[in-house]
Amino acid sequence: MKKYIAAAFLATLSLGACTKLDVDVESQLTNGNFPVTPDAFVAATGTVYQKFNAGFGVDIWRMYELTSEEVIITARNGGYYDQGRYQTLHKHNWAPDHPIILSAWQWGYAGISDCNRVLNILEKSVDSPTKTQFLNEIRAMRALYYLYVMDMFGNVPITSFGTAESPKQSTRAEVFSYIEKELLAISEGLSAPATVTAEFYGRPTKWMAYAMLQKLYMNAEQYIGKAMYTEANVYADKIINGSSMALVGDYNSLFAVNNGANTETIFAAIYDANYSGGNAMTRFTLHSALRAKYNLPFSPSNAQCTLKEFYALFNLTNDVRNASWLVGKQFLNDGTTPIMNGSGQLDFTADIILTNQETMDVGPEVNGVSRGIRSIKFYPDPNTNSSTRFQNNDMPIFRLADVYLLKAEALLRTGGSLTEALKWFNKVRVRAKAPEVTTLTLDQILDERGRELAWEGWRRNDLIRFGKYQGKWGFKNGGEGASRDIFPIPATELVLNKNLKQNTGY
Amino acid sequence: MYPTKQKLTKIMLCIAFLCLASRVIAQEAPVKGLVKDMSGQPLPGVTIKAEHLNTRKTAVTTSSSQGLFSFTSLAAGGPYRFIFSSIGYETDTLSGYTLTAGQQVALNVKLKEQSNALQEVTIGYGKSKRNEITGSVTSIKQEEFNRGVVSSPGQLLQGKVAGLNITRSGNPNDRPAVILRGPSSFREGAQEPFYVIDGVPGASIDLVAPDDIVSMEVLKDASSTAIYGSRAANGVIMVVTRNAGKGQGKLSYSAYAASETISNTIQMATGDQLRTYLKDNGKVLDKISDNGSNTNWLDEVTRTGFSHNHNLNFNGGGENSSYGASLNYFDNEGIIKNSGLERFIARANMEQRLFNNRLKLNINLTNSNTTNDRIATQVYNNMFTYLPTVSVYNADGTFYEDPTRTTGTGGYYNPVALLENNTYQGKTNLYLINGSAKVNILNGLDFNAMVSMQNEQINENLYNNRYSMLRQGFNGYAERSSIKNTQKVFEGYFNYDKTFGSHGLKLLAGYSWQENRNGDGFQTSGQNFVSDDLLWNNIGLSNGNGSTVVNYGSIYISTLRLISFYGRAIYDYKGKYLLQATIRRDGSSAFGINNRWGMFPSVSAGWNIDRESFMSNVSFVDNLKLRAGYGVSGNSVGFDAYTARLVYGAQSGSYFYSNGKWLTAIGPIQNDNPNLKWERTATLNIGLDFSLFKNKLSGTLDVYNKKTTDLIAPYQVSTTQYPFNVLTANVGEMTNKGIELSLNTTPVRTGNFSWNTAINLSHNKNEITSISNDLFQANEFYTANVGGRGQSGALGYQVIKEGLPLGTFYTLRYAGKDAAGKSTFYDKDGVASTANTGFEHFTVTGSAQPKLLYGWNNTFRYKQFDFNFFIRGVYGNKILNATLADMNAPIYAFQTNIAEQTLTESINDDKAQFVSDRYLESGSYLRLDNATLGYTFKIKGNKTLRVYASGNNLFIITKYKGVDPEINMGGQTPGIDYRNFYPKTRSAIFGLNFNL
Repeated sequence: MKKYIAAAFLATLSLGACTKLDVDVESQLTNGNFPVTPDAFVAATGTVYQKFNAGFGVDIWRMYELTSEEVIITARNGGYYDQGRYQTLHKHNWAPDHPIILSAWQWGYAGISDCNRVLNILEKSVDSPTKTQFLNEIRAMRALYYLYVMDMFGNVPITSFGTAESPKQSTRAEVFSYIEKELLAISEGLSAPATVTAEFYGRPTKWMAYAMLQKLYMNAEQYIGKAMYTEANVYADKIINGSSMALVGDYNSLFAVNNGANTETIFAAIYDANYSGGNAMTRFTLHSALRAKYNLPFSPSNAQCTLKEFYALFNLTNDVRNASWLVGKQFLNDGTTPIMNGSGQLDFTADIILTNQETMDVGPEVNGVSRGIRSIKFYPDPNTNSSTRFQNNDMPIFRLADVYLLKAEALLRTGGSLTEALKWFNKVRVRAKAPEVTTLTLDQILDERGRELAWEGWRRNDLIRFGKYQGKWGFKNGGEGASRDIFPIPATELVLNKNLKQNTGY
Repeated sequence: MYPTKQKLTKIMLCIAFLCLASRVIAQEAPVKGLVKDMSGQPLPGVTIKAEHLNTRKTAVTTSSSQGLFSFTSLAAGGPYRFIFSSIGYETDTLSGYTLTAGQQVALNVKLKEQSNALQEVTIGYGKSKRNEITGSVTSIKQEEFNRGVVSSPGQLLQGKVAGLNITRSGNPNDRPAVILRGPSSFREGAQEPFYVIDGVPGASIDLVAPDDIVSMEVLKDASSTAIYGSRAANGVIMVVTRNAGKGQGKLSYSAYAASETISNTIQMATGDQLRTYLKDNGKVLDKISDNGSNTNWLDEVTRTGFSHNHNLNFNGGGENSSYGASLNYFDNEGIIKNSGLERFIARANMEQRLFNNRLKLNINLTNSNTTNDRIATQVYNNMFTYLPTVSVYNADGTFYEDPTRTTGTGGYYNPVALLENNTYQGKTNLYLINGSAKVNILNGLDFNAMVSMQNEQINENLYNNRYSMLRQGFNGYAERSSIKNTQKVFEGYFNYDKTFGSHGLKLLAGYSWQENRNGDGFQTSGQNFVSDDLLWNNIGLSNGNGSTVVNYGSIYISTLRLISFYGRAIYDYKGKYLLQATIRRDGSSAFGINNRWGMFPSVSAGWNIDRESFMSNVSFVDNLKLRAGYGVSGNSVGFDAYTARLVYGAQSGSYFYSNGKWLTAIGPIQNDNPNLKWERTATLNIGLDFSLFKNKLSGTLDVYNKKTTDLIAPYQVSTTQYPFNVLTANVGEMTNKGIELSLNTTPVRTGNFSWNTAINLSHNKNEITSISNDLFQANEFYTANVGGRGQSGALGYQVIKEGLPLGTFYTLRYAGKDAAGKSTFYDKDGVASTANTGFEHFTVTGSAQPKLLYGWNNTFRYKQFDFNFFIRGVYGNKILNATLADMNAPIYAFQTNIAEQTLTESINDDKAQFVSDRYLESGSYLRLDNATLGYTFKIKGNKTLRVYASGNNLFIITKYKGVDPEINMGGQTPGIDYRNFYPKTRSAIFGLNFNL
């Protein structure tokens, strides 16, 4: 009996001494065990790219396209009103609490913070050529994120890793020179493949850094009030002369379901219906009645379309780019069987007629009529994931046709060789099987950029550079003032970071 | 013990000496007797123990149904004492008998019913008499439990305990939401009380069959709960189950069968009504939306559900050992087709007493096996809003579907097809082994040790067949997961209980070690099946194409360790003045590295006024106790091993293209917060217990003030410094103040007839007092973003904000219709316009927190009949009827069905469905929850058979226009009815209880 009690005592005391709270981490990667192996370092860089792709296809794209005359989302019989978030983008009367503007900021800085974090991890690893290459690539991605946030928000902070302190706001000029400095520092250390093959597809290369520099300098007049078109052309030439990149023969293949690495695309947001979601073009553009025609596994949501003033650019004879649009009465692939939309034949009208001005609503679809012309440039994908509705088409960010058109534009702006400008301009025309031109104006270049780069996420940037962003189109009156060339810093960011000052005009 | 008023009436009618001179052979003396209650009725089942004070030999017997008992083989001599005990009666002892061989002794005893004050109540790590308790504890015994089709023990308490707010839908697979004394957390799923089952902390409530529960004690204030430390802030519910028996073997069998139907619905337009409405407005349905049918979809998906439950229990024991076992089978058919729950529970327990009862060993084994048949959640919405103008089937027998519809909110799917083409099943196997030892070391000093191991195996399966609209183009999609969760607990504690003259002292000191290892398992998926016949049962037959991504889920092992030291001291002076102090120190591996250990103290005091000499003349007072307590407890529900850590992982779809291949991108999946810790609730409780007029009226009054600090919420942080834009941090503060009253009275009690009535009332006021501190600021959090057609810009329909209660509705203010029949809304200045629908026009419009909860129980007994009815209700809360809002969409009448009431609204009103205070309705209700009529047959011996008929949810008085106002009041967003409500049921039950 006594023994028994003694044993019980001892048992409690020995366990009582146990105050060890730390438990082994069995099935999660934490900072204790990640990253260690070379494969782990590769995986650790992945979020930088994954975040870029995931946010670009919808939110960033909307920031650059819904604010231009290329794309509009009207309310449709109450749907897609969504508290006016699309109509304010269209009418340029957004406020600092706009949810998409907030998403765009968070996309940019989540990406930048992630780059900073990954750079910190990489810097601590053992020196090797791979390490240097990775460091340069992540810095290039960081520059790309900065290019976007600077382009959208103007005066933004330059942040660093490992501090919870709120960063200071920099001027747009400071951010400009930071991006420039970074790109100049790393561009020579990046890979320089003859063309961007699958190995380099979706990763920063020397050509991608040059394309970024070209964009940066092309817009320098807007960014820092200093024309740097000559510098822009230096980097255009470096791509043209340094690489074997060339326009592809088939324009439509650039945006096809199975696009992927090619001789023209310098950098792209790479999508996969199952592995890398973010391209929801068909979901938001097409009409549910088109499901059968395009063999889609889901019914599209019938939201976005183009304005007739933009569609008017697609007036060149034999231009292959004209086929990007669905307009008028719709037929099945046999060309004769009408596609029915309720009781009438599905009819995409160029005119967008509102039944409710205040909600910018086109009302119910009557007699098969569905308002607005649709784009099938990013061709509808039968292998779309029917749950997420994401498709497989990659979205080019930088491609050679853009480099050519920017080069022609810079020549025109600097009074350079017209012959030279015509040469690069007509290369784009010839590939599109559209007529060549013999004279060239800036307006022609903007129109051509519309035709060539429609719905690719550059229109806002182009319109601002050409001074047309405050124009009148659709249901927007125009003349809203230069303050709209920069988005407001999101209201929640101003609350979180007392160092930030709101942009002028908000 | 205490010099209480004389409470025991003992009458020895006779001690007869019957001399049977010629029969004196053995040295044995027969003892016979009769036990009755105070009203003179014979008492069966009383345990009588005869004890020889010199030899220490004992014998035990029990009384028969006539109250008779006898000992035949007691050795002559003595002195003997006889101890009479029975549950619910005060124990009586007759001492000083010396038996003479051959001379019969007859004992005649009347036992007094135990008054409330002396009933033993289970508290943390022990038991206590009611009049010694200084905290707020409500004890509900088996006979007071709710009757009905009960799938989760929480339902047994619904409406019975003041301050306990329990809500439940009609879904057999739903656990009721249980909230004690108002919400004290913002976090979803972090408001449930902590369960302690037979002393095992944190055991699964699904282990226990309702019929096996003897009592449930609800520990409400911190002076009662602080002994459970960081997990006790939401209150503690102690569940006590039937334990091993004593004396001769007993067998009982109880069973019921029930039929359940849908109790109420929302009247939707019929096919003809809808066609007429559209026609009158110059509109027609698309051909695909009208094939001339008049389908009532609700009828198509619902059924009368049959449920039955069987419980077999037997137990018994000898002098040194006892045993008990029970089997329970429960089959609960849901009223929506293909939904249901089936559960089988087996339990066994054994007790061995050694060394003259100084060592008691116990082992308990429980195994519970549950199958949950679930349905696609889209059914709840489509059973109302799918167009009635189309048929269930096409002419060829396939389901009628409209594939051109987009998959918007809730989707548009044939609800019958949803049920038939999608199969969801969960299987859970739970077992608990629990062994304990109690050693009596010295007089008054005990050591208790308890080891328990709980193992939970959860298998979840789903199959969307080739026709499923939920997985179009997948050609059949199967998903399976198998996860094991284990919990090991060791508890060791010393109890010291001693009286020194007028001073009573009870001490407790203990140590607890617990480890939960969760998420040990995997998930997989497959698609492209050649046949739907095998469901998920052979995923190997799937044939995904090259780009298929197998869904491995995000299953990971998370080990959580909790180590605690605890102690309690109770002191009393002459039973008049009671003092209690407890302390617990909890350490958890889940807390941030900077806050690993927490201290949870409490102090309380009680004053038994009735024992004061100045009360001796106040004869109508039986018991009167004033008590007050203050303590601190914590809430760490939902914490796992990784909550506070930096974790690298891959979010779903997190791949990147690298060198022509898709690689998994690995990065942090949450911001880490090394300061994260439990939410802290400090409670001040003052209470009064009383029992008057010879226990005819008893009651309890409690007032409390609960202050919760360090509330956890997701705070916006800037992505300029953090990888994610939210950080989980301890910031906010919230109070709950309330008052609770329960009364129990027996107005009539005669030999044949008695009427007992009990009522409980509770009021709680919740207020969020802060959601900001120096580091983290927030003006408000918008929650409950239920969305709705054309309304996705709203940030939420409830707001968490300082000065308001949790569950504050934040909506548009409806201003009626304009001349054109269009809905208008007020702006902040009170000007009405159709245009005022932006989020800037949202405003605070009401609260989901009830002002009053009540329950009223009545029991009548006449001879062998018993009748009971129970009414419960809620008053003063609001419900957002977003379900009705979504149905009240005349502009979409050609797409989805509308409510019958919508037929009078203009088809041009494109904002009729906008969520506004138009749909904020009173949630007050009074429900006749149960009425039961029973009859008890007395069969010879101790045997009884009771048969009963019972009806549940017989009627409800409410102004609420939805299906039922008993909307979930738990969680972060209480009181929202949004297209996810499994209808309440009305049931008719027939049952019997056999006691052999």
